[in-house]
Order: sequence, then C-alpha cells, then structure tokens
Amino acid sequence: MQVFNAFMKVMKKKIFIAFIYIFVFVFVAIAMTFTDNNVSQFEQVSLKVCVFDEDDSPESHALCSFIGNDNELVTLENDRDVIMDALYYERADYVLTINNGYAEKLASGDTDGVFVSMKMHDSYSTVYMGQMLNEYVSTVSAFLAGGNDVMDAVSRAEEVLSKEAEVNIASFVSRSDPDVNTNTVFFFRFLPYIILGAVMSTLCPVLLVLGRKDIRYRTNCSGIHQSTYTIQIFAASAVYIIGIWLVFMIVGLIINGGTYSGIAWLAVLNSFVFSLFAAMLTIFVVEFEPPATMVNIITQVVSLGMCFLCGVFVEQPLLGDGVLAVARFLPTYWYIRVNRMIEGSETFDMNTVVLALSIEFGCAAVMALLAALVRKSKYTGKSAVPV
Amino acid sequence: MFLHELKYELIVNLRAKDLILWLMLFPIVLGILFKVAFGSIYENSLFSSIPAAVVMSGENDVFRNVVDSVSGEDSPLLDVRYAEEEEALELLENDEVSGIIYAGDEVTLTVAGKGMQETILKAFIEQYTVYETIIEDTIKNDPSKLQAVISALSDDVSACTETPVTRGNTDQFIQYFYNLIAMVAIFGSITGLHITENNQANMSPLGARKNCSPTPKSVSLSVALIGSFAAQAVCLIICVTFLAFVLKVDFGDRLPLVYLASVIGGCMGVAMGFFVGSISVLPHEAKLAINMSVSMVLCFLSGLMIGNIKGMIAETVPWFNDINPVAIISDCFYCLNLYSDLGRFSVKVISMVIYIFVFYALGVILSRRKKYASI
Repeated sequence: MQVFNAFMKVMKKKIFIAFIYIFVFVFVAIAMTFTDNNVSQFEQVSLKVCVFDEDDSPESHALCSFIGNDNELVTLENDRDVIMDALYYERADYVLTINNGYAEKLASGDTDGVFVSMKMHDSYSTVYMGQMLNEYVSTVSAFLAGGNDVMDAVSRAEEVLSKEAEVNIASFVSRSDPDVNTNTVFFFRFLPYIILGAVMSTLCPVLLVLGRKDIRYRTNCSGIHQSTYTIQIFAASAVYIIGIWLVFMIVGLIINGGTYSGIAWLAVLNSFVFSLFAAMLTIFVVEFEPPATMVNIITQVVSLGMCFLCGVFVEQPLLGDGVLAVARFLPTYWYIRVNRMIEGSETFDMNTVVLALSIEFGCAAVMALLAALVRKSKYTGKSAVPV
Repeated sequence: MFLHELKYELIVNLRAKDLILWLMLFPIVLGILFKVAFGSIYENSLFSSIPAAVVMSGENDVFRNVVDSVSGEDSPLLDVRYAEEEEALELLENDEVSGIIYAGDEVTLTVAGKGMQETILKAFIEQYTVYETIIEDTIKNDPSKLQAVISALSDDVSACTETPVTRGNTDQFIQYFYNLIAMVAIFGSITGLHITENNQANMSPLGARKNCSPTPKSVSLSVALIGSFAAQAVCLIICVTFLAFVLKVDFGDRLPLVYLASVIGGCMGVAMGFFVGSISVLPHEAKLAINMSVSMVLCFLSGLMIGNIKGMIAETVPWFNDINPVAIISDCFYCLNLYSDLGRFSVKVISMVIYIFVFYALGVILSRRKKYASI
C-alpha cells in the first residue's frame, strides 16, 4: 500500500487547492440548476410578450388582457437598446406596440398597421403572434359587422377566441411526467461538466506530483511491481473521486430537498459511473505529463467540448444528426440520454439505460487500459532510464 | 535598458511554447466543436412552413379550401400532405410532420409533442373553428349580416407592422463564440500570473536573480507586462482570425474593432493575472486555483455554458454585467455586431482599459518595496 499511502499524503497537501475548485464547481452547479429552468425553447408554448400600449383605451386594455391569457406579459423600458438586449437574450419573445388611435381604427374597420412589433428575425414566435393578432382583429371586425358595438365585439371576440381546439397526443408517444424534482433533474443534467471539471482540476495536481521525475525514479527502482503500482494508483484515485462525487451527491440531496427516491437513484448511479470515467480520463491525460499550468486549459477543452457536443448545455434534439452521430462515441452522450429518460423527455427504456451505463463504464475501462498502456510503454522503454 | 529587457522578455515568452501553444490551440479546438454543434441550430430556429398531414375523415370542402389557400401562398404557413390515417401517423412518428389535422365534422389535431410548430397548428385550427362558429351564429341569429361578416373575416388583415431591431447577425448561438474569445482573453491571466513570480525573490530563482540586478523593479515589471501583452495579443489575433476566416463566424462588418476589443481584453486578462500573482502570501498553486476558478465563474456568468444567463443577470443584478470582465469583453463583440453606433462599445473598451490600470496599480502596490531577510 506504499503508493496508495503516498497518494493520500500528497492529496492531503493539495486538499486546500482541491477545496477551492470543489467550492467553485459546487457554486457553478447550483447556479446552473437554478438558472436554466427551461427544458427547451421549443417546448415553451407560452411566450414572454412585452406590450407598449400607446393607445391606452379600454379596447387596447382588453387586447393586453387577451394576450396575457396564454402568454406571460413582461415589462421593459421603451428603449431600442433595452428591447434588443431583451429579444437577444430571450427575456422577451415578442415586443408589441399598440399604436395610438387603435380603438378608433378598430371601430372604423381600418385595422392595417395598428400594431408595430420589433423582431430579431423571422422566428416561430413572431409568426405565431402575428397570426394571433390578425385573428383577433378579424374576429372583432366580424362581430362589429354583425351589429355589435365595439366593446361588445371585443368581449365576444375574446370569448370565442378563448375556446381551445381538441389536441390529442399520438398513441405511440408514451412519455410520462417525471417523478423527480425538476431542480434535481437540472442538477444531474449539468453534472457531467461539473464532474469532469472538478475531477480533472483536483486529481491532476496529485497525480502530477506522483509522476514527477524524482518520485517516479525512486518508485521505479523500488521492489513494487509496475502492475501493483498502477492498481494502487487506480484504487487511490477511485477513493478520491468517490469522495468528490459524494460531495456533489450531498449538494444534490439539498437541491432535491431530501433523500433521493425512485428513479432519482438511477441518476445517482449514472453520475457515479460517469465519475469513474472522469477519473480514468484524468489518469490517462496525466500520463502525458502536461505542465501544471496547462491542466486547467486542457480541462476546459475536454469538459466544455464534450458537453457542448453531447447535449449538456444545448438540448440533444436541437443538435444535428451528424453531431449526434459523432457524440454517440462519447460517454457524455449516453449520460444525457439516461438523464433525458429520467426527466421524461424521452421514452423510458430499460435496455437503453443498461446499454448507456455499459458504454459509460466501457469508456472508463478503455481509458484505464490506455493509461496503463501508455505508462507501460513509457517506463519499460529507453525513456525509463534517467539520463 | 528597457529595450534590452523587452527583447529577453519576448524570448522568454516565446520559449514558453506549451502555454502559448495551448492558448492558441484551445480556442481553435473549442471553436471547431462549437461550429460543429451549433452549425445548423440557428437556421432551424428560423420560421419555415410547418409540415402537417391532413386526414380528411369526412366531406369538408370548406376546410380543404382554407388549407389549400394557406399552403399555396408565396411563403406558406403550412406545408400540407393529404394522407390516410395510417400513413399520417407514420409521418408523425418519423418526425416528417409536426401534427396531423383530422378534418371531419369537427377539426382536431394530433401531435407528438408540444412546441412552437404544434402551437401554431393548434392556433390555425382554432382560427378555422372560430370563424366557422361566427358564421354559424350569424346564420342562426341575423342572416342579413352574413355577407358583411364573411367579408370581415375573409379580408386580408395585416394588423402588425414588423420592424427588425437590428441589421446585424441575430444568431444567438454566436454568443458562445464571443464568450470563447473572452475566455481565451481572460486565460491570459495564466501568463500574467508568472510576471510577479518571475520578479519576486521569494517566489522563484529567476525572481531572486532579477532582484539583485540593477534594473529598477518598475522597469522589469513593465517590460514583463508588455511582453505578456504581446504574447497574449498574438494568441487572440490568431484566435479571431481562425474563427472569422476559417470557421466563417460572422462578427459583422467591423472586424478590425473585433481584433481591437480582443487584444484589449487579452491585456486585461494578463493584468488580472499580474494582480493575483502579486498576492505573495499565497503559494503558486493556490494562486493558480483562485485565478482559474474566478475566471471560470466569470465565464459562466457571462454565458459561456448557458447562453441566456447574461439576460437573467441583467434582469436581477444589472450592474454585474457591467463589472464582470468576461461579460465586458463579450459585450464588445455583441455591440459591434448588433448596434449601429459605437457608443456602448466605447464604454466597454474604456471599462477594460480602466480594469487594466486598476489591476496594474494593485499589482505594483502589492509587489513593491519587498525586502527579504531570508528566501
């Protein structure tokens, strides 16, 4: 257990640094969980609409209230820059101005151009809202033509327009509502980035110390067999990583508001297997002896790259088929597949879950094998001899 | 003396190949991955005719005429395929259509999920049902008004005039590239971190050697900073060039200013590292950890991982986006792309310059007048 103990000794010395990283990643994990509360922009049917009512008449008030029935009304400063920022960062999906004179024009039937909307581009929300406003105006005009006065026409229009069409979900769709806390789902969704970042940032410095020339030469000339050394390094890394993983599971418990239950345990298992992969990936990276300063950059490249490609930050269905075809070779893709089943975005299929976990575990094993191979080739060749 | 020092500083920076190489490779690799991942998302989010299957489960010529009229326009709302129920379900299951409209005595919709396309389909059949109801009510209550009502309903209404808020590139996914450049700029703090360490006697043998040389510390520190600024500027110029010309990321038509903002951002990153490195009570690894952690959190809060977080921050703590160095850098690109005037861009550039001076001043204050009884 000499190598194992040496690992723990070095780890103790580096624990302060590890805590800095872990603290930061815990902060980021919590922030991610509570900031991204939209499952996806395309699943949102209620739009964030900002209305500037320049007419300020009972008719325009009625229209505002009608828009607010199915949408969320948001308030913005009437400034072009503020509106552009809001549209760009999706704080508003649609910005509508009810022009002065709306009520009179509505009564006279001259309804062209009674509204002005500001748009970033031709999005579905722009088309939807444009269609809805035209329908509203046409309906009011029809009731006016039918002999109603303006306010009667407005209220009758609102009445008929509030009737919902019959919409059925196709029989082949068997997606169920998740029985997991939404925040917990988001926490586990972003966990691959957090785990990769935390594990690589904290494990690399320890392994780099153990791989330093003076320590390595001392170990190489000791009686410890190479395979024993490797096994002890793997074991110590696993213990270390389990510790880090437990920290995040405790954070998850707090976010969950109590003990995990039901399908949430699958998310816990999924994250555990993924943590093993992260540990083995780190060991593999360290075998190339990157300078300590570079570890963080490598960590960002690996974690951000993998997470963007596999649908951690951007929903998998939004990524192209070609991207997903490549992502299939990465464990993060399979982690997210399982998570999507847990959150109810995909049909739950136990076979796919088993396949996903096996692939994640398999990737961890491949990384471990590659690390051992690189180590063996390094220390049994000419490079093993100190010059 | 200054030029002599500068020459050697540049040589030292050139010899730190690993760091320079990674700072160059890092945005190139991530830029390629971003491009691959986001390549078609923006185009897919733009409106195009919604594919729908129509199953005529009874005689409903009026509805067929309405469907034909909305699918036969220049830029049609619907892209309709008439089909039998079985075929329509197969199309829906294969994601070839967004919904199935059943047109019989009643018009109903079947979908496989809920999204904007499905919502528009629902609104379309609701519109048809509403018009049908109004006409039926008029026939029942006051048939003399029927012609006027039909005329009101069939008039082409264009109640809304749409005004684009900008002529710039409105692709929201481009902000990930803005933040990528901002991240590279702020990672310049790694090079800045070494400046103080290489100039303080208790931190490195090189620092000890420099401290007993006759060169004033102000000169050696300034030279080291200029050398690091130059190295970081080269990294950022390569990064922006690669993104703009190889990956064809559309930064708008003011590319020289994009270069300028990146280089100033890079200098700010170096100055930040210089400041953190000057805190001599901390060991190197702790400083590196603090530096990287702070940079990462700032990148996160600027929208590197979750694109619309900057908008959320603008809603809750709007001043934070004005002081977050990473957000300031990415805002520069955003302003250049979307704003026609340079007012806000200038404010951001001035903020970066102020940051550079503040970090520099703090770094100098923390690292000056050091005497060592023992190192």
